[in-house]
Amino acid sequence: MRLTFNGGSREHDPAPDDTAAEVIRTAFGATGTKVSCGAGVCGACTILVDGEPKVSCLLPAAHLDGTSVTTVEGIGGDHPVQRAFVELDALQCGFCTPGFVTEATAFHDRWREDREGVPSREEVADALSGHLCRCGAYENILTAVQKACAGAFDDREPIPARVEAPDKVTGAAEYTVDVTLENMLHGAIVRSSQPHARVTFELPEDSVRLLEGDIVRYTGQPIAAVAAGTLEEARKIAHALKISYEPLPSVVDPDEARRPDAPVIFDQNERKNAPSSAEGAGFPARWKGNVRSGYPSAWRGRTARKRLDAARERNAPGYFAATFTTAGQSHTALEPHASVADWRADGLTLYTSTQGLGHIKAAVAKRWSPPKVEVIARHVGGGFGAKLSLGTDAVAAIELSRKTGHPVKVEMSRAEELTDTGYRPGTRTELRMLGTPTGGLAAISLDVAGHGGVSTGSMVATLGLMMYGRGPRHFRDRDIIGNAPPASPFRGPGGPPFAWAVEQGVDEIAHRLGADPLKLRRTWDGNLRRRALYEIAEELPLWRERPIGAQTGRFRRGVGVAAANWIYTADVDTKIEITVRDGRIVARTATQDIGTGVRTVIRNAIRDVFDDAEIVVELGHSGAPHGPVAGGSRSTASVGPAARDAARKLADHLDGKPVSEAEGVTVVGQRPKDKGGSAVPVSMDHMRIGRGLAGAVHMTEVEVDTLLGHTRVLKVWGGIAVGTVYSRQTARNQCEGGIVQGIGYALYEERITDPRTGVVLSANLEDYRLPGIKDTPEMTIHFHEDGWDHVPGGGIGLGEVCTISVAASVANAVFNATGFRPLDLPIRPDRLLEGMPR
Amino acid sequence: MTAEYRAGGTDLMERRASGRSTGHIIDLYDQGLRSIEPTPDGGFRIGAMVTVDTLATDPVLAKAYPALSKTAGSLATPQIRRAATVGGVLLQKTRCRYYRNEHYECLKTGGTGCPARDNPGERAVVLDVGPCVAPHPSSVALAMLIYDAVAEVDRSPSRRVADLYSDGARDHLLEDGELLTAITLPPPVEGERAGYKRAISRASAEWPLAEAVAHLTVRDGVIIRAGVAVGGVAAVPLRLAGVEQALTGQPPSEELFTRSLDWTAAFPETAYKIPLAETLIRDVLTQAL
Ligand SMILES: Cc1cc2nc3c(=O)[nH]c(=O)nc-3n(C[C@H](O)[C@H](O)[C@H](O)COP(=O)(O)OP(=O)(O)OC[C@H]3O[C@@H](n4cnc5c(N)ncnc54)[C@H](O)[C@@H]3O)c2cc1C
Ligand code: SF4
Ligand code: FES
Ligand code: FES
Repeated sequence: MRLTFNGGSREHDPAPDDTAAEVIRTAFGATGTKVSCGAGVCGACTILVDGEPKVSCLLPAAHLDGTSVTTVEGIGGDHPVQRAFVELDALQCGFCTPGFVTEATAFHDRWREDREGVPSREEVADALSGHLCRCGAYENILTAVQKACAGAFDDREPIPARVEAPDKVTGAAEYTVDVTLENMLHGAIVRSSQPHARVTFELPEDSVRLLEGDIVRYTGQPIAAVAAGTLEEARKIAHALKISYEPLPSVVDPDEARRPDAPVIFDQNERKNAPSSAEGAGFPARWKGNVRSGYPSAWRGRTARKRLDAARERNAPGYFAATFTTAGQSHTALEPHASVADWRADGLTLYTSTQGLGHIKAAVAKRWSPPKVEVIARHVGGGFGAKLSLGTDAVAAIELSRKTGHPVKVEMSRAEELTDTGYRPGTRTELRMLGTPTGGLAAISLDVAGHGGVSTGSMVATLGLMMYGRGPRHFRDRDIIGNAPPASPFRGPGGPPFAWAVEQGVDEIAHRLGADPLKLRRTWDGNLRRRALYEIAEELPLWRERPIGAQTGRFRRGVGVAAANWIYTADVDTKIEITVRDGRIVARTATQDIGTGVRTVIRNAIRDVFDDAEIVVELGHSGAPHGPVAGGSRSTASVGPAARDAARKLADHLDGKPVSEAEGVTVVGQRPKDKGGSAVPVSMDHMRIGRGLAGAVHMTEVEVDTLLGHTRVLKVWGGIAVGTVYSRQTARNQCEGGIVQGIGYALYEERITDPRTGVVLSANLEDYRLPGIKDTPEMTIHFHEDGWDHVPGGGIGLGEVCTISVAASVANAVFNATGFRPLDLPIRPDRLLEGMPR
Repeated sequence: MTAEYRAGGTDLMERRASGRSTGHIIDLYDQGLRSIEPTPDGGFRIGAMVTVDTLATDPVLAKAYPALSKTAGSLATPQIRRAATVGGVLLQKTRCRYYRNEHYECLKTGGTGCPARDNPGERAVVLDVGPCVAPHPSSVALAMLIYDAVAEVDRSPSRRVADLYSDGARDHLLEDGELLTAITLPPPVEGERAGYKRAISRASAEWPLAEAVAHLTVRDGVIIRAGVAVGGVAAVPLRLAGVEQALTGQPPSEELFTRSLDWTAAFPETAYKIPLAETLIRDVLTQAL
């Protein structure tokens, strides 16, 4: 076939099954076009065919014959839409950005041709409704497209809101999936087709074993990896590999797995091998069959239980008991897990899509002891907790490269991604709570069972030690082990399911006592920072004008609130190195930007000292001085102060002279200690828990169509108390993304596992539903910046606290609107219709 | 399967990647079939390769067959609509999550049995018309049914679009190698109005739990012609002739539009779809007024 590609002419002879995306990315080497879902749902792969946006992942390559194709690279970099995206921060990780930009330029050009003025939010959202952004940057995307259409960027260069934005809007930003090395092979994973079995198999050439031992415990478990010249070939070989299964009794469904007569998945001496979904070390626990019970964490636990029992006996008005459930939530970063390993005699280079390249480097060094290890992650297309540890992709790529002597790339398909790269465990929570209108929370007990498949480490109830004062309390976490894939940490592990139960509990008690839910929280909550947020929230018109009492009519509006807190952690060993190179300040540290804006935090901190120097931030390379893992919301509070320290050292060195005078000079900044020390005076893996809790309050307005069971989120106010905000625009963007993800959790996202076969049925983006641009509410973010003076820089991270209470606030709003208390998450239409009082 | 035609490829390419379709591909891309022509009796003949986006946005079609145009404009995403074709949207394969998952075999993959019956979930059918319990995927088929559209097939006589579908054992009844060349629509009716709506959890770009489409023509205060169909409820696209009859000859009113469906749900999980469909029917009739 012959076509015009980004202005040049091309010839290519595609195979019948080749997609346009494959040909563009592989044969034409234009990797700006991304593939994420491979099924026409996410729009990441959008290209212009004769000016019309189409998804290239489903477009047969042969259909490009005689057309003119434009990809993000062909748009240039100066299109008003690109400029608007850059200046208005219409992106985070940037993996969805090429698709959005491509579609939006077509919309813009058409609009400018036949229309005047600014398109409405609705019009823009309609045009972009075939695109998903897992980071949830929709608000800024909408604004950027509107402003571009209004002509605001016709003739001026943008001021980038984040350092790497220009690379992300042009397709120049290189992600791990874009890396191609010479003589590179592709790897594919052979996975178990049975939920529980003893396996035997023989490995073909160019393959490695991944399974330890000979027992598979879930459908989809990696058994081996094979390499071949193309991905297609590798998948074919993997598919053809014969595995003999000797089936063992299996149990997938947690309700069955917890029964005393259920088949046992880990016997006594295998238990220690069960993977953990906890971020740190797991807590000690007792096992009984498939139930692993943690020891209760309590504060006057016996009093708590006595009070609750008594309150139940006498039907106390402030007593509430209920069982809440939450579905598992898949991280679904748009860039899948991917690694390219290049194992050579003198050392290993590993390109990998990770949130912790320093951590990966240490893990690789420990496991394989190559002479030298370099880990590279220039851009990372989202993580949300799923990319914290050494995954199957990296292990397989390294082993295969070592075995074959070639560089090897291993990339998860969307189905693999949605099956076996972790998820937030599902939960079942028994909540009991006793409140008094003035006296505080009299007692609370939480018994939470985590459903993380073969993994342990669900920690939900224990978070109750941090909330609502010092009343008597009794918490216990359990894991119900089943033959399903393991869970992993997910943005604020345990937080959203905890809030789902407890924040609805507080709301329910307020309702039963006839109290104002915000005032009640203010009375119960000793946390000063959150109290400040309650006070502001109480004055919002949204709150003051909220509907009270039962409503009639088909469409009902409701307003709900929920609060959250989160521990403050920092990587206390973080170092930022600054070198003056070609008159520019070049900052380096061994961390990565997964879309949270770390580069920008570093740049801004340096800019506070050097306001007119050109600053370059180089991240994504493990050879740089130690930097933080992008997890536990610790990046900002780690790199910000260290960057400032480095900048000050350089300033001291310069002593008033211009930067150019220090050509070649290198200084290293360190993170100063917190005033008054940390909460826990020891570091774990460089991380320390600091004093104080980050706080958040979310207030949400919904409209429920009580006949179609449809819940639309109209407005969300997010109050965030994390001290000084380093980079306001990127921080706001992240908080909005946290809201969007919270809405997804509350209303749409649901991991579905077949109870018999253990097959994950929600293994594509049609069945695993992410919030889209038209689901984006009007959002207001308020930063409360006091109270963090003991932290160098005066502020901490917000990536987790900004999402935890969102789903619960949606639930409380639904209750306010309909009188239906949604105990089960997500609030699906069928559940609403069946549960609503008639 | 020996060979499969490829139109826009939006359904087929997904099944190629997952291994559900393995036979030879015959590309229709360069076969024409893209014209929209008036027919002698005043109707239209729409080529099988005309895109869904054209159905949705062509001003002549929108005026002549508003129910078709509204339905076409509501499905999938803008990018998919630009690639998807009339032939493909009518002849696409089921979206059953078991069928689309490589771990399973079922009646529709050439195997036996139906794993979905054991775990139907809230997306399955309400009406158990056949062995398959996945709702028929085609939204556009619903609109075609209520316009009495006719399908032209290369090797056999033309037939009503309704006769492309049967008892739920197959997604459509064309034989291997039979080519749908065009759809003909009878002359448009002056003064007709239409409504389309789907029940979904998000705001858009989602397969419906249930969907409904209707057209109404009202003259002198009386409904003289009505077409109503619902999707998401059965393994075939379902036209509600009984409802159409009940409407015809009556003055339109909210009461008239409130139809109760005397269905029995095949599964407790999908019982909620009955009131859902009733609401959708009322909504689309109200839109069509
Ligand atoms: C995210 C998403 C959401 C969607 N939502 C909806 C929805 O809500 N409602 C809905 O109806 N659809 C929906 N679809 C499906 C979409 O409408 C179909 O994929 C599309 O219409 C298929 O058209 P195509 O031209 O691409 O067909 P192809 O993929 O090319 O073909 C589909 C099938 O039809 C056969 N075929 C095509 N043309 C002919 C012909 N002329 N003669 C004989 N056989 C032929 C092919 O052999 C193949 O078996 C959705 C799709 C996606 C990706
Ligand atoms: S519902 Fe239909 S498509 Fe799904 S498994 Fe059963 S027979 Fe197959
Ligand atoms: S990758 Fe093509 S639409 Fe998602
Ligand atoms: S910025 Fe959209 S997916 Fe990350």
